Amino acid sequence: MSIELIIGAWVATGLTLFIFTFLYKDNPLFKLAENLYVGVSVGYTIVKTYDTVIVQLIWKPIVEHGEWALLIPVAIGMLMLTRYVPKAAWISRYAFAFIVGVGSGLAIPRTISSFILKQIEDTVRPLLTMVPGEGVTFTWSLLNPASSLNSIIILIGVSSVLFYFFFSVEHTGPGKVVARTGIMFLMIAFGAAFGYTVMARMSLLIGRLTDLVEFTDPSYGRPSLWLLGLTILTLVVMARRSTGKQPKEE
Amino acid sequence: MIFLRRQVPLLITLITGLVFAGQYYVPHPASEQMLTSVTKWLQIIGGFALVLGVSSLFHVHAVKIRRKEAGWGYSFVLYIGMLGTIAVGLWANGKEAVDGTMTAFGWVYNFMMVPLQSTMFAILAFFIASAAYRSFRARSREAAVLLIAAVIVMMGRVPLGEYLIPLSGDLSQWILNVLNASVRRAILIGVSLGTVALSIKIIFGMERSYLGGGKE
Amino acid sequence: MTFTERMLKIDRRIIFLVIGVCTLLPLLYPVGLPIKISQEVRGVYDHIESLPEGSTFLLSLDFDPASKPELHPQSISLLRHAFRKNLRVIALTLWVSGTGMADQVVTQVAREMGKENGKDYVFLGWSPGGTAVIINMGQDLYGAFPADYNGKSTKGLPVLQGVQSLRDVNYAVSLGAGRPGVEEWYVFGRDKYKFELGGGCTGVMAPGLYPLLRSGQINGLIGGLRGAAEYEILIDQKGKAVAGMDAQSATHLAIIVLVIMCNLFYFSSRSRARQQGQAGA
Repeated sequence: MSIELIIGAWVATGLTLFIFTFLYKDNPLFKLAENLYVGVSVGYTIVKTYDTVIVQLIWKPIVEHGEWALLIPVAIGMLMLTRYVPKAAWISRYAFAFIVGVGSGLAIPRTISSFILKQIEDTVRPLLTMVPGEGVTFTWSLLNPASSLNSIIILIGVSSVLFYFFFSVEHTGPGKVVARTGIMFLMIAFGAAFGYTVMARMSLLIGRLTDLVEFTDPSYGRPSLWLLGLTILTLVVMARRSTGKQPKEE
Repeated sequence: MIFLRRQVPLLITLITGLVFAGQYYVPHPASEQMLTSVTKWLQIIGGFALVLGVSSLFHVHAVKIRRKEAGWGYSFVLYIGMLGTIAVGLWANGKEAVDGTMTAFGWVYNFMMVPLQSTMFAILAFFIASAAYRSFRARSREAAVLLIAAVIVMMGRVPLGEYLIPLSGDLSQWILNVLNASVRRAILIGVSLGTVALSIKIIFGMERSYLGGGKE
Repeated sequence: MTFTERMLKIDRRIIFLVIGVCTLLPLLYPVGLPIKISQEVRGVYDHIESLPEGSTFLLSLDFDPASKPELHPQSISLLRHAFRKNLRVIALTLWVSGTGMADQVVTQVAREMGKENGKDYVFLGWSPGGTAVIINMGQDLYGAFPADYNGKSTKGLPVLQGVQSLRDVNYAVSLGAGRPGVEEWYVFGRDKYKFELGGGCTGVMAPGLYPLLRSGQINGLIGGLRGAAEYEILIDQKGKAVAGMDAQSATHLAIIVLVIMCNLFYFSSRSRARQQGQAGA
């Protein structure tokens, strides 16, 4: 095991435990790790942006391959940075106008095609299927999402939820029944979303604890166990010091 | 001057918006070449946008350190972390590994950034459990439906749940593939209609909040 | 305070401890319950199985270290499967903070399967712009990525032979933790360039992608750690995802018990308050 891996294991374990101390109480160890996290993330983004954008996308193509047209986006990018000069900040509007205009233009037809037309197309599928040799059939299976019964349920679900969110019409009479159906469908979907969110969050914790358990290995010097003891000791000392300060002030 | 400050940007948005919305329907090689070039430009401009976002953070914490506001020591830690990572990264030419060997930049990434970011999000598991205990109460019929659906899905998506109650697995699959899919589809259609409407408003200058930057 | 009132106002650190214990114990003492394979995950697996040798497989690792526990096992399993089928693998990422992780996982699995960089696989790295990168790859791959992550020119690489743009990719899978992710790969990629698309995602994103799955816009969906575990079983190489499933079971059970308990205490305190109200009147 190389020395940098061992030091790395100790540093990673220490930082992980510092963040976990937040579960007990907000404390300087957590604040230290939190600010370090922001600093390192931003530093990493800057390095990557410099390497990818400046070196690979701008410098090399212009200098080595003579793609001088790339000076146009560089100019637009520089216009964006004028936002920091109060007197000239209005010039940055040109850059933002270009980006937002292109972005909106690209998004409109693609969104309509993918998320509106295609989704509606799949909702209004035939409710009866034509099977060669058997004629017209209606499949009842609830377990098969593509069955005819499920297609009807999906149609009811989509229309009732869309109606529920249509507030220009008052939800009274038959409209109230449709809206209430929509609400029930929504509640079930939110319940499913909550269940999956719990699953996702627990998975993240499982991942971290798996790494901590891996670092209890003697080949790393058991950093998890030593640093856990040290962290708990530090928290106890900090708690004693803060309770010690309060009676003195009184 | 008003023309340069307000009208020209709106004109740029109008022209570029209409051109690129129309480009989708024009398969001519010239139109495709224009799309290729401009999306290449967007990649480069995207890089400058990242720089913009990052430098505002620089500024906020620099002010905090200069004025020695409460907690300025932590801003100092942030700066050290940022500058240290940049120094190490530029020394390694922005590469985490060279021919399979980890660089110092790779060390900072693997043993500082990854554990810090992973753990920040891992502690959410504890908060979702505590929040569920404190507030997930069946106060009304709708809340009860939400609760029951959540319990069924939580049971059905783990091996223990499927082992104890085999029906929960099939039921959670049905909830996800049929009921949940229909609701999400309705939300997707609704949100997409909203996005398209907003994009059209932006292109035609009815929505100007994206301009920002300076007096009218 | 009565027992129910005390239980309703319990210190949240006790709940934290319960969750911590429920996660740690199954990791130290695993049980290994059977895992049923879902149709969604089978969709991705079956499609990769059906691809002939030498087909182009594009894997977009659109996640950062925050989603590593869920999507890292998915990427390992997909890469192992693709390399076992001798597919030509093109890997990239649209998330800047995931670049180091993506490079590492591709290099690690390729080395394990004896694959050669440039000949069997290529890691293109990261490029800013998100959806602009997808469109640019759809127009001209070499324009979007003139060089691979190590700086070698992409033009002339054996692995990219016959691939001019996304139209020439046989199957693409996006492992997404947010935006840009699976939805953007469909809207800005498959919609115009017509390649087959599959998805992998975190548990938070999964329910939102079911409409795309149902309409056939994506032909499979690997959702969260459970999806990763199912894929590991399908390729018969169990890893971290299967190992984490016992802890997942324990924590889910803990949350269900906590929610049921809190509702029991709530209804009990509500009926007591109603009784006291009636007695007072």
